[in-house]
Amino acid sequence: MTAHAKLPNPPISDPVSDLPVVPYEKLEEIFEDIRKHPVYDHEIHGCLNCGICTATCPSAQYYDYSPREIVQLLWTENLEGIYDAMQEKIWACAQCYTCAARCPFENSPGGLVMIMREVAIKHELPSVKEVLRPFSRVLLKVVSTGNQLAPNMITKEAFPDWGPNVAKVDAPLMLLRKAIPMPTMHTLDTAWEVNLKTSVELYTIWEATGVLKQLESVDENLFDVVSDVMEEKRDEWEEWLEDNEDEDDD
Amino acid sequence: MSDKPILIVGGGPAGLSAAHAAAASGRKAVIVEKADRLGGAPILQGYAKLVPSHEWAKDAIGGMVARVQANPNVTVLTGAEVQAFDGAPGAFVATLKDGRKLEVDAAILATGFTHFDSLNKPEWGFGTYPDVVTTVQVEQMISSGAGIRCPSDGRVPDRVAILLCVGSRDRQIGREWCSKICCTVSANIAMEIRELSPKTNVYIYYMDIRTFGLLEGDYYWKSQEEAKVKYIKARIAEVTSDGNRLVVKGEDTLVKRPITIPFDMVVHAIGMDPNVDNMTLSAVFGVGLNRYGYIDKATTYAHLAETNRPGVYVCGAATGPETIDDSIAQGQAAALAALTGAGVPMLKAAE
Repeated sequence: MTAHAKLPNPPISDPVSDLPVVPYEKLEEIFEDIRKHPVYDHEIHGCLNCGICTATCPSAQYYDYSPREIVQLLWTENLEGIYDAMQEKIWACAQCYTCAARCPFENSPGGLVMIMREVAIKHELPSVKEVLRPFSRVLLKVVSTGNQLAPNMITKEAFPDWGPNVAKVDAPLMLLRKAIPMPTMHTLDTAWEVNLKTSVELYTIWEATGVLKQLESVDENLFDVVSDVMEEKRDEWEEWLEDNEDEDDD
Repeated sequence: MSDKPILIVGGGPAGLSAAHAAAASGRKAVIVEKADRLGGAPILQGYAKLVPSHEWAKDAIGGMVARVQANPNVTVLTGAEVQAFDGAPGAFVATLKDGRKLEVDAAILATGFTHFDSLNKPEWGFGTYPDVVTTVQVEQMISSGAGIRCPSDGRVPDRVAILLCVGSRDRQIGREWCSKICCTVSANIAMEIRELSPKTNVYIYYMDIRTFGLLEGDYYWKSQEEAKVKYIKARIAEVTSDGNRLVVKGEDTLVKRPITIPFDMVVHAIGMDPNVDNMTLSAVFGVGLNRYGYIDKATTYAHLAETNRPGVYVCGAATGPETIDDSIAQGQAAALAALTGAGVPMLKAAE
């Protein structure tokens, strides 16, 4: 029996890591949340370690991320490894689902990553905030308008993860845009004109599906800003409705 | 004992074996073969040396053909197909497509399989790049004496990749079975390539290796230790080309890195599909198919060859992926079942 095992509640951790030890119960709780997810059994069936998912994964070419590793960790119930992967690795997936289209046993590593992300947010893992911080502008845009990226967001500040040497961002984009022989200047804030009604419906979806709640746990400031925007747009929508009613009455 | 013949549908290893067994016991047999000659896949598809005997297919299976053709108890009808099959055990009538009618005692379905068509996995380059070939094509290169050549320009390849499980163990395309023979066949082909062309390096990409039973020593280890064939645990994601050579993309899962490697020739180890005629056979003979599309066996242990229709028996790769030697054994088992009327209820026992 090792000294480690004699401890009343043996902590499971990497002995050379300086990260705080996570109690085993916490690891179990996180895995249970993953396993009990309504689509978990649909996304994982068994794995022969053939690696076609990782071979075909665009993110695996550039990051320390392997869809095969994700499937293996879950299938073998490696609680520590799962927790570890949820710190950073799962955020490298681009959600293209090529892995799912290729897996001979119809596993969906991309779908499993989506479940793990949900659970990571639910448990407010500190890494979630760190990983998502650079994307707060994108989040704001998506949640408030439904657009992911707008022309006026093409700045280094908006995308710190692009690195310092993105040539096109240094170009005079507004000037170049004016040179395009068709109207493009009317959609700078959003990639396309966003319908007010669509925005308001989107907010209902965010609330009903718990996305807003997730946002609050990830980034409270952003949540406040988004809440303000939502309120504003809803007021606008109400006004529009009232105006139209008036017109009908006439 | 009935003097009516036993109808054997299919003239491959299983059917040839069943016909020989029936005839050897003094009964008459009729082989109805769709192709213009006997021999089944090993002859019609031009296989080279067989597993596990290393005998040439044209000698081994050709010998079985000659033995049946020389047997006066066996009638061979080639270019023939059964269109209807009526009656009851002991008094069946088989109607052929040309209108001929055969009165038979029982029927044995030895209808075999169909090779998987690699066009169903377009990401692996077959049909797009001429140097992507199947195991059957390599068998033909060897058996014809043409040697191992890239079809595009006839050069001898430096590097050959064999991809296992093409059309097997793949839920994406509804092939939820292991085709049983491809691992060993691939190891055999790899050794033959190395022997014919020592400068050619051969790499086998696998998920599992299933050189089952005694094939472990003579194929799995011999191919590695003597022929220096390399086994890499990876299922290939896609086969493309850089304009000169084929480019194979995968993950070396034991080294844990994505890999992109050039090859001169890529070989698909194609699996065994149910015979494309199985729906027709099922309707004509009134036999059930299992959920994979092969002809269903009624029992696992009692009588190996029974179908759900009394008096109609089945053997070989018609029932699922099967080796040649096991197909031959099953052919004999089916003959015995047909001779003894296994599974046929004795309605008139009192007479």
